[in-house]
Amino acid sequence: MTDDVETQPAPGVAPRHLAPGEVGLVAPHDFVCAEPFIFKSGQTLPGFTLRYETYGALNAARDNAILICHALSGDHHCAGWHSADDKKPGWWNNLIGPGKAVDTGRFFVICANVLGGCQGSTGPSSVNPETGRPYGVAFPFVTILDMVRAQKLLLDHLGVASLHAVIGGSMGGMTALQFSITYPAFTRRVLAMATTSREGAQAIAFNEVGRQAIMQDPDWNRGDYAKGGGPRVGLAIARMMAHITYVSDASMDRKFGRRKKDSAAGDAYNFDVQFEVESYLRHQGQAFINRFDANSYLYITRALDHFDLAQAHGSLEAAFAPVQAETLAVGFTSDWLFPPEQNRTIAHALLRAGKRASYAELSTDLGHDSFLLESEELYALVRSFLERQEPPVFDFSI
Amino acid sequence: MTKLVEKRTVDMQIIGDWVEPGTRVLDLGCGRGALLDYLLQTKDVSAVGVDLSFRRITACVARGLSAYQGDMTSFMREFPDRHFDRVICSRTVQELDDPTGVILEALRVGRTVTVGFVNHGFWKNRLDALLRGRKVRNEVYTTEWFESRPANPLTIADFENFCAVKGIRIARRVHLAGNWRSPRSILPNLLAGYALYDLAR
Repeated sequence: MTDDVETQPAPGVAPRHLAPGEVGLVAPHDFVCAEPFIFKSGQTLPGFTLRYETYGALNAARDNAILICHALSGDHHCAGWHSADDKKPGWWNNLIGPGKAVDTGRFFVICANVLGGCQGSTGPSSVNPETGRPYGVAFPFVTILDMVRAQKLLLDHLGVASLHAVIGGSMGGMTALQFSITYPAFTRRVLAMATTSREGAQAIAFNEVGRQAIMQDPDWNRGDYAKGGGPRVGLAIARMMAHITYVSDASMDRKFGRRKKDSAAGDAYNFDVQFEVESYLRHQGQAFINRFDANSYLYITRALDHFDLAQAHGSLEAAFAPVQAETLAVGFTSDWLFPPEQNRTIAHALLRAGKRASYAELSTDLGHDSFLLESEELYALVRSFLERQEPPVFDFSI
Repeated sequence: MTKLVEKRTVDMQIIGDWVEPGTRVLDLGCGRGALLDYLLQTKDVSAVGVDLSFRRITACVARGLSAYQGDMTSFMREFPDRHFDRVICSRTVQELDDPTGVILEALRVGRTVTVGFVNHGFWKNRLDALLRGRKVRNEVYTTEWFESRPANPLTIADFENFCAVKGIRIARRVHLAGNWRSPRSILPNLLAGYALYDLAR
């Protein structure tokens, strides 16, 4: 997910966080689990913390909850503003709010930073109580299943009886699929966008380049570095490279073309920043190192690499055999990280397994991050899936 | 109710009569899901529809249906033989790029294939072409040619010939008069306005 998601505040109107149709000011909470947690790898933690946010209210039947699952570099802050002078709202603010596609007037929306993350949940940058220093690479290897199990404990803690839906894009889509497999009776709907049932060779390859950039940086120091320090150059390069995979040829060309930083200058025969796209990527890299931990990046990309539902269960149909949820998979035509075909595969396998599953595909040229698109068509689809409200149509032609 | 909505309902009712309760149904060209919704409510089928349009898939999703956006032949190739009890191709067959490919693939993944289409051999349609010398326009075909999707104006005789040539067994046929209501079994290619077939291998 790129850092580009922002809404344009209109000048001269009330601040966005006070506007109707917005969740407004929000604050994160911490769920502390004091019970030991055993990872799929067999490694254990004495306990863990998940940082999360909620919007809306849980109903009396405790069954109107929607879990939002974030992508690799996302976090628990998916809607609203943390303070009145926040520049940007949560990463999926365009989708989530009162009256929006994910209607917080109707649903109790929960989003947690994943286990292994670095935005407040326990991860490699957390302090190991045994040593008094960050875990670093002593942190247990985390999988998508581990993330799901940890989030289920949070939902139990919040008193959620069952999920109306679990929604996510990219890694969040994998998390959502895993949720419906691991907790079938708990999960009524799965909305998985721009995702895959199996991390393919190209996606693993990109992850590996990112990891090598981090690990070849001498400041990585085998994962042993102070908080806020570490392989800043390596992490920035990893982010620059990954960022390219989140967008598309067409969208980058539209945004930057061949524009130069100094439009008057001709070709300069040196390696300084010349093109706007170079400067943009460097900025993306720098912005990322200030908010993300390099070891978390290693751990979470590894979790993505290990995600293969077919291999884990013998076949994709076998993986989906326990599913009770209705699933909606959404692909985006220009997504070359998890292309439409990989999203179609999810629907095919669910239908072969006799489950209820739909597939929709949106034509966009924004690449993988299209799932964050401000699109009335996408909102209508999400709302239709969550609320079964069909817009009236008077077209009876055949 | 308009005449057209009425006609649509007649079509649904006949197909509904043919569908066994609780069976697995695939609707090729499901549109906004009206037929599948009807079958789901009256026959408790396990249903999935295929269509090309995002908006129509959205409408199906809003009805709680399983719907798949994409090419119908590629979709069917993902399923084993006889996965579906019935594959329905209602008022879709005339618009297919490769009708033979689609119907043969449907006969592979479905035990029965239901095809329904408007008979362009119907005398009114013939007369229309003869006298007006223009593309058929009526309450079903409301648009000018330049506002319409490409369509083959096939007839009952054309379709029966297709089945004979391809060795497809016709398990059941219903020919309806111009009102799409009363059966019309005499000279159907001339006197029937609408045709429904159940095909089998």
